[in-house]
Amino acid sequence: MKKLLCILALTSLLACSSNNCPLGSTVQCNYYFYDRNGVAIKYGDSFSVTTLLPGEKTVYTYRKLGYQTETRNSRDTTLVNAGYTETVGTARKDTLLVNKASGRAYIQVPMSYFNKADTLIFDYSSISGNDTIIVEHDGYAHVELPECGTHVYHHLRSVRSTDAAIDHLEITNPLVDYEGNENIRIYFNDVVE
Amino acid sequence: MKEMKTSGFISTTWWSKTVVASLMMVFACAMSAQDEPIVVVNESDTIRPTKYIAELMEEPPLPFFQGFTLSGDLFGPALYLISDYGSVEAALRLNLKSTYFPIVEVGYGSCKTTDAETNISYSTNAPFFRIGLDWNILKNKRQDNRLFVGARYGFSSLKFDMSGPNMTDPIWGGSAPFNYKDASSNSSWLEFVFGTQVKIWRNFHMGWSVRYKHQIKVGQPDYAKPYYIPGYGTTTDTSCWGGTYNLIFDLNWGKKKLRQTTNKTDK
Repeated sequence: MKKLLCILALTSLLACSSNNCPLGSTVQCNYYFYDRNGVAIKYGDSFSVTTLLPGEKTVYTYRKLGYQTETRNSRDTTLVNAGYTETVGTARKDTLLVNKASGRAYIQVPMSYFNKADTLIFDYSSISGNDTIIVEHDGYAHVELPECGTHVYHHLRSVRSTDAAIDHLEITNPLVDYEGNENIRIYFNDVVE
Repeated sequence: MKEMKTSGFISTTWWSKTVVASLMMVFACAMSAQDEPIVVVNESDTIRPTKYIAELMEEPPLPFFQGFTLSGDLFGPALYLISDYGSVEAALRLNLKSTYFPIVEVGYGSCKTTDAETNISYSTNAPFFRIGLDWNILKNKRQDNRLFVGARYGFSSLKFDMSGPNMTDPIWGGSAPFNYKDASSNSSWLEFVFGTQVKIWRNFHMGWSVRYKHQIKVGQPDYAKPYYIPGYGTTTDTSCWGGTYNLIFDLNWGKKKLRQTTNKTDK
């Protein structure tokens, strides 16, 4: 009887003190790739995803007749010495979220905590154009357990894009949390394979 | 006795008569004390056992309503002294034939905690209720000690406060406080109970119970899940173990009535 009580007490301690925080506890929006007919695909070519940030930055643009225009975030004296004409301007700040991904069936992209909409720019290596996706969402703080910390969940309201390589978009699960479920489907057109 | 008196083998003195009478009585008593039925052989040589009157050996049936018990839990307050949460609770349990015990438990739970790593604070103070049934599995229902298995349905309507450090967006920037007050939650759960109750002195008993609890529903607003539900415990998992250590006042009317009836019958 004493042994049974000890086992029960130990079990109760273990049951009530275990940490149940999710392992991958990063809240990210999951974009899955499909062709225009709705068949799941792996995107073969490489692409990068950047997002626009609040505020502006100084941009240095270098042009030379017969050469490709170069853009830098800081002054490049070597280009000036090479005969390029420098133009100083401003542009929206941005940051790289996905760098040269290839052969991917889906990507995971973080969302802003406090902005009402996120702008994502898909830059493809195989085509000259790029696509801009605008995702409107409501973010709210969520605590599953005090030991797990604070997370920001999101409820997707709408999504739209340009059509360089994207046929259309679809929200499949509006709740963005750390469960890793598919949230948005990107249907690519036939421009990219 | 007259026939014996006429026997030539035994003398007819007063002493002889007394001895013979005593022997006959001892023999008769010995015969009647035997467990085996007496077999009487009549003239037609048929054997007929005497009737065993079972009714005389049977105890009178237990009254349906035996009384009730009032109990208080000592484990909940003790838990509050050594941890961040605890509760006080009392229970009223009806006694039906000393076998079935419908029970209502009412309590008040409290929790105030801050996680050392995340610095997130949680606090709540709220009542809780449980309703259920215990079943005394001991064979002898007339004794004062009991061994129970049972089940409960628990419910708590609570409001909780939760606050933490400011949230800062690592990519887009910006910061906002995390501070919520009076968040509402209606939660319910199921408990499976195993327990015992032992008589200490007169109507006072002591007992303990071990409970396996499983969440049915944990109502929660979008921003937080209640960390502690009064009557259930912490919500780190969808099920949990718990227990009580009870001081019990057992008012057993049925037993008192039975005793009175037995005394009257004896007189």
